[in-house]
Amino acid sequence: QGPAAPKSFWVSEGKHAKFRCYVTGKPEPETEWHWEGQPLSPGRRRLLYRDHDGGFVLKVLYCQPSDCGLYVCAARNTAGHTLSAVQLHVREPRVRFA
Amino acid sequence: EIAGAPASPLDVVCLDANKDYVIISWKQPAVDGGSPILGYFIDKCEVGTDIWSQCNDTPVKFARFPITGLIEGRSYIFRVRAVNKTGISIPSRVSEPVAALDPVDRARLKSQPSAPWTGQIIVTEEEPAEGVVPGPPTDLSVTESTRSYVVLSWKPPGQRGHEGIMYFVEKCVADTENWQRVNTEIPVKSPRFALFDLAEGKSYRFRVRCSNSAGVGEPSEATDVTVVGDKLDIPKAPGR
Repeated sequence: QGPAAPKSFWVSEGKHAKFRCYVTGKPEPETEWHWEGQPLSPGRRRLLYRDHDGGFVLKVLYCQPSDCGLYVCAARNTAGHTLSAVQLHVREPRVRFA
Repeated sequence: EIAGAPASPLDVVCLDANKDYVIISWKQPAVDGGSPILGYFIDKCEVGTDIWSQCNDTPVKFARFPITGLIEGRSYIFRVRAVNKTGISIPSRVSEPVAALDPVDRARLKSQPSAPWTGQIIVTEEEPAEGVVPGPPTDLSVTESTRSYVVLSWKPPGQRGHEGIMYFVEKCVADTENWQRVNTEIPVKSPRFALFDLAEGKSYRFRVRCSNSAGVGEPSEATDVTVVGDKLDIPKAPGR
C-alpha cells in the first residue's frame, strides 16, 4: 500500500466529531493522536479513550472551524511504527435565503 | 428459516489444529424441527474473505470433523448446518479464527513481536444533545492518608452515560459545606486521585463527580472526615 491522500470527512460546526482507529501489534503499541503535527492531550473539548471493542477514539466536542486539519493516529512498539491520517473539515452553518 | 428444519448447531470450537488439518466440534441444536437430525454440513471461510465453501459432500453424523485442504499459515473460521428430512438449518454462529499451523510454529509466532498496524480512521458526527450525564461514582474511600498527601479511590458509576468518563474531585473542610473542586483543569481518567495541597492538622471530607461530553453528574457520597496528620492511616477496606 503506497502513500495515498488522506480521506476527508466533514462535520457540522457545533457537533461532535468522533475519530476511531483500530490498532494492532505486539507488544501492545503506544498510540497517540496528532493534529496538524501536534500531539493531542485530553482536555475539556477533547476526549481520548479506548472503546469496548479495543478501538482508539478521539472525540472533539462542539467542533469549530479552527478544529479543521490533519488528524493522525500514530502507533509505535519495539517492532516499528505506523500511522493513519484523515483530513477534517468543519461545515459552517449554511445561510438560508427565503 | 425452513419450517420443520432443525435449529442451528451451537458452540463450534476447534479441538486440534496443525498445518494439515483442523478438527472442529459442535453441539447439536436444541430443536430438531420434529424429525431426527440426519447429519451436519461444515463450511469453512478464509479470514479476510467472504467466500464460504462446504467441506463435506454428504452429511456427517458425528459432531466432530477433521477439515483438510487448508493453506498452511492462513486462518479460517467455521460454521455448521444441521440436516433432517425436511431441510437444512440456518448456519451456526461462526467459530473463533483458527490458523492452519503446527503448534510449534503457532507458539513461535505468538512470542514474536509484530509491528503496529493502524486501520483507516473513521470519523462520525455526533449530536451533542444525545449525551447522557453519568451518575455518581460509588464506594469512594480514602485509601491512604499522610501528612503530605491523601489518596482517594472509587468505583465508576453504574449509570455510565456516554463513554469517555472523567472525574472531578471536590474537597471540603469538615463542618462546612464549602465544596471546592480540586482538579479544575486536569481531567482525571482513573478512579483514583492523590491530593497534595491540604493543610496539616485540618480535617476534610471528599467527594467525586463524573463528567463526560454531556456534562457533569451528581456527586458521590462524601467520605468520612479525614484528619491530615503525621500518622499513616489506612482505613478499613470499603464496602465491608
